[in-house]
Amino acid sequence: MSRPPPPPPTTNKDQQHQNPSLQEINIKLIQSGEKERLKELLRERLLECGWIDEMKALCRAFTRKKGRNNVTVDDLVHVISPKGRASVPNSVKAELLQRIRAFLASTAD
Amino acid sequence: MSSKINGHVSPQPCPHLLDFRSRNGPKPFRALHDCIRVKPPGGCAAIRREPSEVPRCGTCEESSRSRLYACVACAAVFCHAPLLHSHASDHALSIPGHEIAVDVDRAELFCCACGDQVYDRDFDAAVVLAQTVNATATTSTSGSTAMQCSVAGSQPENLRKRRRVDYRPWEPDSGEHISRGNQSIPLLDATNASLVSSTQQPWGLRGLNNLGNTCFMNSILQALLHTPPLRNYFLGDRHNRYYCQQKNGAINGTKNSRLCLACDMDAIFSAVFSGDRTPYSPAKFLYSWWQHAANLASYEQQDAHEFFISMLEGIHEKVEKDKRKSQSPAGGGDCCIAHRVFSGILRSDVMCMVCGFTSTTYDPCVDISLDLEPNQGGSGKSSSAKSLNSCNVEADCMHPNQNGGISTLNGCLERFTRAEKLGSDQKFFCQKCQVRQESLKQMSIRKLPLVSCFHVKRFEHSSIRKMSRKVDRFLQFPFSLDMAPYLSSSILRSRFGNRIFPFDGDEQDASNDLSTEFELFAVVTHSGRLDAGHYVTYLRLSNQWYKCDDAWITQVNESIVRAAQGYMMFYVQKVLYYKESENQGTS
Repeated sequence: MSRPPPPPPTTNKDQQHQNPSLQEINIKLIQSGEKERLKELLRERLLECGWIDEMKALCRAFTRKKGRNNVTVDDLVHVISPKGRASVPNSVKAELLQRIRAFLASTAD
Repeated sequence: MSSKINGHVSPQPCPHLLDFRSRNGPKPFRALHDCIRVKPPGGCAAIRREPSEVPRCGTCEESSRSRLYACVACAAVFCHAPLLHSHASDHALSIPGHEIAVDVDRAELFCCACGDQVYDRDFDAAVVLAQTVNATATTSTSGSTAMQCSVAGSQPENLRKRRRVDYRPWEPDSGEHISRGNQSIPLLDATNASLVSSTQQPWGLRGLNNLGNTCFMNSILQALLHTPPLRNYFLGDRHNRYYCQQKNGAINGTKNSRLCLACDMDAIFSAVFSGDRTPYSPAKFLYSWWQHAANLASYEQQDAHEFFISMLEGIHEKVEKDKRKSQSPAGGGDCCIAHRVFSGILRSDVMCMVCGFTSTTYDPCVDISLDLEPNQGGSGKSSSAKSLNSCNVEADCMHPNQNGGISTLNGCLERFTRAEKLGSDQKFFCQKCQVRQESLKQMSIRKLPLVSCFHVKRFEHSSIRKMSRKVDRFLQFPFSLDMAPYLSSSILRSRFGNRIFPFDGDEQDASNDLSTEFELFAVVTHSGRLDAGHYVTYLRLSNQWYKCDDAWITQVNESIVRAAQGYMMFYVQKVLYYKESENQGTS
């Protein structure tokens, strides 16, 4: 199994003092382990508010309609993504945003 | 797409996966094994070439928006967002043999050509093993009691599916017509309505006289008298003490009729629900129970939980001797009303640390005994860091102030279902390794009973130090309880995600059967010392709480109940719990 060449670096010196890009934020979050913690927090909040159960029900209904052997993961993602994104409670969005802001503030260069 | 092997459903591989396996030797995913990283805090498995790698799509540098997949053949990482673009699919379609990829954040196999998840037994076994090894590195060695770990056969006994019957409203048959006319007394009519309405209390509330340190019995009786399925059974005349075969001694009708605890229960139900409010003395019942449990026959104080267990056994014994009833499978609960109401099934998984082989056993249980957490010193950190279950305990780590170090029933249940490493003196004999190995044990609930009884281990008896003590620590318990997180299906899924398990992980989703939601209806509390204490029961009727202190019944505020020291808590399935209107039973 051969390994592909490493990707070229994306950050250049000019960007460091401007607003960090999405990629840079993402890297920071991953490397500090904060992304994992945020994912766990999000999972818990979505579980508490019943969002996960709603999505499960949507998937079940769709699968029942199409037949168990005619459904792929991509189909399910396609079907529930719009409804899923729209039905995340605002309080959950706000909480996560707040945490990300706090994290970025605490790790600002 | 799936086939049944020995009753287990295994997803069939897609043609691309089959092709991949055939072209890459006996261990096609061997290189991936080293890339499996188990990430705290949740213990989820991910795929990373280096531990701190930030995966990025090789074509578009995307790392944050889409799912990322690593091609199993060449380790290149691509994004996959089926609505927009999929560089993973592009890669798969451009190079034959590169259709199979793995989700880098979930460690799940995916076929880019089919657009669907695929499952491979060897790969999933490797992931499960990696997560287990990680668990031992972080789980503390606790001195857990060694339960007998019988090695199960290759699969558990076939658990019968619940038969569905169409609803038909009840119509009395000819015999019932007659007895309705002659012997039964209407619940509410002109003669006794005044008796009931004068006290404004719900049906079935009657004090029980203390016959000499019998508060242990009175407290349990009060709880059982208001256990909905049990109450319905006896009030529905399902066990008639006049017609009972056991008691009348079908073989020889001698004067010394054989004892039947169910008949005595029937008598108590009749007495307590008669409408008479003067305190009742369950002397006949006490005498019968002494005959059944001779070793406990005395006027000394007894343990209420011990009494509860021996009572259920006493009711069960009656039916076991009836040869006409075939022996039902363990935990089937069809043997007697006591088991029908209280019996659930616990599942115990013991996994060998070395090879991953897991032995699964199922045991029936009539209640769950929970340990109170050891003193935490208020920080709550010690319990959360070592957990495998992702969501619930992570809350403690995130919000240390949320429970403030108070023990909760959910906390105890979470501890009960936590994976623990068996101590080195309790090595389990692994079938595959053929030697004793260190193992990881995890309990979960396979089948919920109609009524869940939780017993808090407040009385510690140490035979070594020849002393006993009582643990007074406060335990917070909810009025509504959802048992879903403690079911076997939830426990396994939260630990490993979507996998084919190297052991029996396939079970019909228990939540399809009955609900997992429970409502509290009775709390038995203990106050005082181990050798000189008093039991009191709080009952929840018509959404009001009543304190049953031997002969004295008083209505109390729910805050009193919340603050009480719970010893045994009784929860009934929500679908069986009638939140009656406040006016029912009173005029």
